[in-house]
Order: sequence, then C-alpha cells, then structure tokens
Amino acid sequence: MSPVLRQLRGVGFAVVMLVVLLVLNVVLNPARFQPSSWGTLLGLAAPLIGAAVASAPVILAGRGGIDISVGPLMGFVNALVIQLLFLNLGISSPWIIVPAALLVGAAVGAANGALATIVRIQPIVATLGTYLILTGVTLTILPAPIGPAPDWLKAMAGPFSIMPLALIGLCWLLIRRTPYYDLLMAVGSDDRAAYTAGVPVTRVRLIAYVVTGLFAAAAGLMLTSLIGSADPNIGPTYTLIAIAAVALGGVSLAGGRGGLGGAAIGAIDIFLLQSLLTTFNVSTYVLQIAYGLILVVAVVLTAVQERLSKRKG
Amino acid sequence: MTSNWFQSTNARIAGAFAMALLLQIVGTLLIPGYSAPFAIRALLVIASLLAVASIGQTLVVILGGIDLSIPFVIGFANVVAAQLYGQGWNFALVCVLVGVLAIAIGALNGLISRGLNIHPLIVTLGIGMIVQGAVLLWTGGFPSGSAPQVVSSLVSIGGSVGPLPVPLLVPSLVVLTALIVLVLARTPYGRRLYAVGSNPEAAPLALIDPLRMWILTYAASAFFAAVAGVLLLGFTGSAYGDVGQPYLFQTIAAVVVGGAALVGGRGSYLGTIAGVLVLTEINTLLIGLGFRPSTVQAALGLVILLLVSLYGRERHVRATI
Repeated sequence: MSPVLRQLRGVGFAVVMLVVLLVLNVVLNPARFQPSSWGTLLGLAAPLIGAAVASAPVILAGRGGIDISVGPLMGFVNALVIQLLFLNLGISSPWIIVPAALLVGAAVGAANGALATIVRIQPIVATLGTYLILTGVTLTILPAPIGPAPDWLKAMAGPFSIMPLALIGLCWLLIRRTPYYDLLMAVGSDDRAAYTAGVPVTRVRLIAYVVTGLFAAAAGLMLTSLIGSADPNIGPTYTLIAIAAVALGGVSLAGGRGGLGGAAIGAIDIFLLQSLLTTFNVSTYVLQIAYGLILVVAVVLTAVQERLSKRKG
Repeated sequence: MTSNWFQSTNARIAGAFAMALLLQIVGTLLIPGYSAPFAIRALLVIASLLAVASIGQTLVVILGGIDLSIPFVIGFANVVAAQLYGQGWNFALVCVLVGVLAIAIGALNGLISRGLNIHPLIVTLGIGMIVQGAVLLWTGGFPSGSAPQVVSSLVSIGGSVGPLPVPLLVPSLVVLTALIVLVLARTPYGRRLYAVGSNPEAAPLALIDPLRMWILTYAASAFFAAVAGVLLLGFTGSAYGDVGQPYLFQTIAAVVVGGAALVGGRGSYLGTIAGVLVLTEINTLLIGLGFRPSTVQAALGLVILLLVSLYGRERHVRATI
C-alpha cells in the first residue's frame, strides 16, 4: 500500500464526511458556497482549524500528551495583541505583532512542555493549571470585549484567509521533512522502545509542546482577525471542540498515529456540519446534539473499522 | 525510611489535609470572621457539594479513565428534576427517574470507552454534549420549576441536624465517605477497581471483567453527578443548565490534589476530600481577601501546579523499562 493511502485510511471516515458535507452544503446553499465567498468561509473556519492543528503535535507525542490550554492561549494572544500592543502601545505593524504573538505562544508552549516533561506532571493536569492561569490573566488585562483590530489583521479573515493557514501547513510540511518528525512519531507510538534506541524522549516531547504553543498563537491571531476585536470569553471555548476535531480526524489520543492534515479535516468537518445545520435553520440546541452524536459515531466507526482491518490481516 | 513514607499515598493525603488546615489558620489571621460559625458552615456546605460531584471522578480516575460528562450530567439532573417537579410529579419518583437515566448515560460512557477502546475523554465529552443539547432542546433553553422544601433544607447553610449546627448534607457526606472508603478497601469491587486501574492487561488473568468494571464505575460516576445536580437545585433554588460547568475542572483538580494518578491504580476518596477542602479554602480565602474571581482562578491554577509538582510527579521513561 502506498504511503499516501496508508495515511488516508486513518482519516478515512473524516474524508468521506468532508466530501458528503461539502456536496450537501454546495447543493443546499449555493449562495453561501459560491467561489467568491470562499475566502470569508475559510476565515470563519480558520480559528477552529488552527486550534485543532495546534492540539495535534502533543497528542502525537503520546503517553497522555494533551494540551487543554490551547483555547485559553488563543484568547490570551487575542487580548495581548489588541489591548496591549494595538491599543496601549499603538503598535499596528504586522512585523511586530506577528512575531510577538508567536513568541508568546512558544513561551507558553515551552512552559507547558517543561511542566509536562521535566517536572513530569500529567499533561492534562499541567495544562489545566496553565488553562486556569491564562484564563485568569486574560480576564484581568481585559475584563470586557474591546476593539477594533488593525485593518491588515481583519483582512486575514476575508480574501487572504488562506495565507495564515497555508503558512501553518508549510511549516508542518517542513517539520515533516526533518528527522524530528520521525523521532516524534517513534516516541508517540512506543516511548520505552524509543528511549532504549537512544531517542531523547524528554526533549522530543518538550519541542512538541513548543510547536503546539506556536500554532495556538497563530490560531489566536486568526481568531483576532475573525472577530476584529478582543474578547476574553471566546478563546477557552475552542479547547474541547478542537480536541474533538483532532479525534474526528483520526489522530489517536494514545499517540503516534495520525497527522495534522487529519486534524484539519476533522475541524473542517465540524465547521461544515455547523454550516449545514444553520442552513436548515435548526436551533443551536440541535447543533449541540449533532456535534456530540457525530463525534461519538465517528470515533466508534473508526474503532470498528480498525478492528475489522486488523482481523483481516 | 522517611523518603518512602513521604512518597506514600497516606503522606499525600495527610499533606493535603495539613494544607487545608494551614489555609484555614491563615484565613483566620488575615480576615476577621473567617472562622465564624456561619463562615465555616458555608465552607462545609460548598465543599460537600464539590465532594459529592467528585466521587465519580475519583472512582473513574482510579480505574484509569476520566469523566468529562460530569458537568453535563449535573446540569441534566438539575434541570430535569426541577422541570418534572414543577409539572407536579411526585419528587421521589422524579429522583428515581433522574437516577436511572443518569446510570444509563454513565453505563453507555463505560461501554463505548472500554468496549471499543476509545479514549474516555472523547466519549464522555461527546455523550455529555448530546445530553446537554437534549436537555436544552426539551426546555427550550429556559428551564422552569423549583426545588422541593426537602432538598433545600438538606443543603441550606443555616440548617441544622439535632444538636449539630450544620445541614444534613454534611453529616451524610461523612457517612458516605466512610462507606466509600470501606467499599474501596474491603470489598471485591474495590480490589478489582485498583487491579484494573494498575494493570488493565493483567486484570482479566485474575478473572476480572474490565468491561463490566468500566460500565459499573462510569454508571456510579454519572449517578453521583446526578445527586450533586439535585443537591445544587436545592442550594441555588432554581434550575440552571450550566450549573455544573465549574465542576468540570474542579473535580479533576480535587482528585489530583488528593494524590490520585490519572494513569490509574492510585488514589483514594479520603484524598479527594482533602483536595476538595484545599480548593474550597483557597477559593474562599482569596475571595475574602478581595481578589477578583479572575485572579482567584489564576492563583488556583498556580496552586494546582505547585501541589502536583510536589507530590504528583510521574516516573521518568527510564524508570518504566
């Protein structure tokens, strides 16, 4: 089996869902899905895609690796960029804002990584700690929503929405070409074997947290451009739905299996589902049930499919 | 060997209790009226509610799982109980119905997670979202109804039982704690729980059915979450679908501060009680000192990290080979 096909089998269900949902959306709501509005649509989906992609590296690193502070970090970057940099210091240049945001993301990621790999606190507890700290600090520097955002940043949610996503994708493709990627997957699938083979397990995992922090900061910027303001309450809502998207996209929560492409597809699935149900004008309550149902059904089907393929040989 | 004792579970629990006591003393010194009878009663009631909500999380964590559906089940029980009671149902019947439904939800969580080997984080999150959506759909987002007098007096801060100046909830929780500790230490269920948690592969060889344990334990978790939901209805007086949301991370934090390991096989309900007391003390103390809720939340995060890095550390990979 070619490597591409093997990659696809893990995310099989998510891809099928993507095609079905896309066709349904285009047929039922041609006005919303005409080519000229693709930029805006992608801008709408971008924060969730970013959050899902950001959540994936630490999950791939295995042994309970997970970062539930991704959502609060997005909110923190959002508040920092608008409140501190743009409104207080009057900085609007992308050449300062983007590196600053990424630096903050990498720093928080490194802190998470240090707590989870060097202090060796269970990742969900360590990132729960940073979740609470980031949410608290965000609410302290930004008690209520405030705006606006710089114009160039707002444009990133419109016609140029593909750009930040493409940059993240490129970044990951480059990582995949380095030996680090193989080490990450090795650590994720069996850290004890990797350790005996001389892989620096702690460092590999630590770097995964930094990558997650970087991508989460990028997702925070995309969130900022979408809402065109700063809101302390939106960021944290992304955490759980992002982890759901990752699972939907065939990334195993046990680590070592799946990829960022799958996570992105999972996120797009959730976005398309949301968009489809809104077309039908169903209430947000039904939307909530549908989210949960699709999530459970998807992971169940993936598990059953895996079980069957194992039995065959 | 002092170092051995320091790393034992008992030391962790003792440490957490000492921490709670220390916080109480600090509070008394800093804030006038911190140890006044009414303040202590309020603290005990709030801690008891969290303790009930954390029973399930403790059992599930010992088993090696995690239950994110607890806040959703709390909200479900809270709203359904109020709504049905408001429609004139007999309250005992309402409780039975809510309990049975919760047990069914929990059993489904355990069945899917263990039966298909899917991470319980995802399963309980998905099921929780379905439950919450269903409740919202049923009530249209505006739950009505109220708590019967029985439940309100059970949890009212001003209540008393005979000579005791606390509402019935507090002594009941003490009895419940003794029962749970007994069940975990002295019954086959308790032994099996720790066995499955510490080594899921070896447990079947000792003729333990892991699937059955997962279904039973998750059912118990949802049941106690439902109990917490009904109690919260008495505490707040009216139904609110999101009443359980603060309990999502608080139950996990209480269990972890109490010395349980999320990888399973380690932990105790007494430890959770200590964790609950520590969390409630910190919360009350910081709010009493005039900090804003957002600052309190940040401080709580810091304290969790600090405590867990003191005694909740995992082994290095090199030590697992």
